[in-house]
Amino acid sequence: MPLGSVILAFVLGAVICLVTGANPIDAYSGLLCGSVGLTCSQGENSALQISNTLVFMIPLITAGVAVALPFRAGLFNIGAEGQLIAGAIACTAIGVQFASLPGVILLPLVLLGGMAAGALWAGIAGVLKATVGAHEVVTTIMLNYVAQWLLRYLIIGGPLQLGPGTSTSKPIGQGADLARILPADNSLIIFGLPASVYRLHTGLFIALVAIAAFAFLLWRTSFGYEIRAVGQSQKAARYAGISVRRTIIFTMLIAGAFSGLAGAVQVAGVDHNLTDKYFYDTTGFDAIAVALLGLGSAVGIVFASLLFGALHSGGAIMQSDAGISSNLVLVLQALILFSIAANFIGAIRRTLPFGRGGPAPVLPSELPPAAGLMSEAATPPPETA
Amino acid sequence: MSALGDVGQLLLTANLWQATLAAAVLLLLPALGGVISERSGVVNIAMEGMMLTGAFFAVVADLAWHNAWLATGVAILAGGLIASIHAVVSIQFRADQIVSGIAINIFAAGLTVFLVNRIYGLQDIGHVGPTEGLPYIDIHGLDQIPFFGKVLFQQNVVVYVALILLIAVHLMLFRTRLGLRIRAVGEHPMAADTAGINVYLIRYSAVIASGMLSGLSGAFLAIGISNTFVPNMTDGRGYIALAAMIFGKWTPFGAFVACLIFGLGQAIYDNNSTIHVSQYLLSMLPYILTLVVLAGLVGRSTPPAADGLPYVPGSE
Repeated sequence: MPLGSVILAFVLGAVICLVTGANPIDAYSGLLCGSVGLTCSQGENSALQISNTLVFMIPLITAGVAVALPFRAGLFNIGAEGQLIAGAIACTAIGVQFASLPGVILLPLVLLGGMAAGALWAGIAGVLKATVGAHEVVTTIMLNYVAQWLLRYLIIGGPLQLGPGTSTSKPIGQGADLARILPADNSLIIFGLPASVYRLHTGLFIALVAIAAFAFLLWRTSFGYEIRAVGQSQKAARYAGISVRRTIIFTMLIAGAFSGLAGAVQVAGVDHNLTDKYFYDTTGFDAIAVALLGLGSAVGIVFASLLFGALHSGGAIMQSDAGISSNLVLVLQALILFSIAANFIGAIRRTLPFGRGGPAPVLPSELPPAAGLMSEAATPPPETA
Repeated sequence: MSALGDVGQLLLTANLWQATLAAAVLLLLPALGGVISERSGVVNIAMEGMMLTGAFFAVVADLAWHNAWLATGVAILAGGLIASIHAVVSIQFRADQIVSGIAINIFAAGLTVFLVNRIYGLQDIGHVGPTEGLPYIDIHGLDQIPFFGKVLFQQNVVVYVALILLIAVHLMLFRTRLGLRIRAVGEHPMAADTAGINVYLIRYSAVIASGMLSGLSGAFLAIGISNTFVPNMTDGRGYIALAAMIFGKWTPFGAFVACLIFGLGQAIYDNNSTIHVSQYLLSMLPYILTLVVLAGLVGRSTPPAADGLPYVPGSE
């Protein structure tokens, strides 16, 4: 079903191209070139494009977990973006403040700081949900914007600003930089290009550890069981002696930590400072699509992140080589979301002859529809059954 | 201290309140749309995308036909059209309404810039315009009333329309049979269905109406206030409208009060050069205030009972 949704989205995207006078074949070969270096018209380097795809994939995996984990508890975390920015801010603030510390101390410090900031940001929504029943969709949307404006304040006129008139922060200390996988050495030639052009960094391993930790937490720990129980039925979980409030708060805290880690790794591994690029960052929203497309499973999240990383990397080349706006990628992403959420594939199959498909669920059964919690949302979860 | 004194002075000027009302109306239109949609039981976090779509098509139509009225009509249609996607996906296909709303916002952000590129050949950043603007109209006679004349009767035409719509939506929701039906469908769709109300029809109409109101607001923004289209020009206003709707406890006048508060903050900032607080910090205020309201510190805010739940005929 996820694959069908992606294919359907690409078909609809091609229709939009045709209607607006763009050549869909040019568009999609541009995307393919920018993501893996195939079907290139300007002789792009395959290895470089794959490296770019993986660089885009890294924060998507961790942020994808930040959406997928609360899904399991029946919570809809739209705030991955705000939590990611909080993490990036904390990472930068610590990295700038303690720039002179050696890497062995500073690097763990900035990553943990980012996780703590993300956890705090999501924790606000978690506490409000658990205590007064404020719907987490609304609170996390608000927190996204608070984080966005805080970021703008900090790097335009605020304490992190590099200098008057700039919209960038000071760079973090060298000790806080995540190492690249290939040495930044111009004399070393790898796949026809100097090793220093490949931006792929060791955050890749952090993301893979994070996704493994997610799977372990969810399926091999008692807390993971509690999360799933609460997601299936708050009432039943309560009868089983699980504290629903505690589970909601901790789920959000952990999810926020994953998002914050995504932001911190992005700063430490790629940018080394905060720039106005982060005003337009959409990783936290892409993460929603990643979690849905990956059906909330660890392996699914990795593949979905790879797809969206490829689309991001491909969009840039599509724009420069084929002259088609990289915003087509956003359109495709929205179409994928529509297609998964509405289960168009199931609907199409039901209309086929021979009765294939049968009645399809509204959403994959493992993912409780977040909106279904609206009725429970009006009141805080009672502590005792 | 002097900054506070300056704000005090400013609060007494008609200019400030004139600007407050205009800023509030920009938020009021999508907020009214949100009230209608959510009262019928369809969660709408897509006002941002619907506004942006309206803003874009207003500018495109304005540049093509040089007629602001026609352009406004196109913006309203475009808003209704994109809302109908949300309606089909979330009512007919019973998709998660929040996912669908997010998808609408992403779709609008991507499609508008994609089309700027296709139609005008511009790359991502860059603005389209200038345009024929929507007129400012002084109501003859009334605009001479001291203070209130300037605040209420020297405004853009959209402001008058919005104030009429505010009263109309309030009366419609709470004083007419249609309003009762909308609220019944949002509170208990099965009971409404049993009573012979067409749940789907009501919900479709409500969602499309919300898109049309957001589209009008987009037109006001693009060809009333700024005379241009820039990528992502709504800049979170649709979400502030969502906040205003919650702040106002899903009522038209409640939402209007919230819009006035948010608009006042904006107007004070725009008209005062002695405040040395960063505009970015001030921009956080609507969102933080909404969190405070949601935290229950200023009374509870409870959505309609069936808000967000797809209706499957014949089931609870």
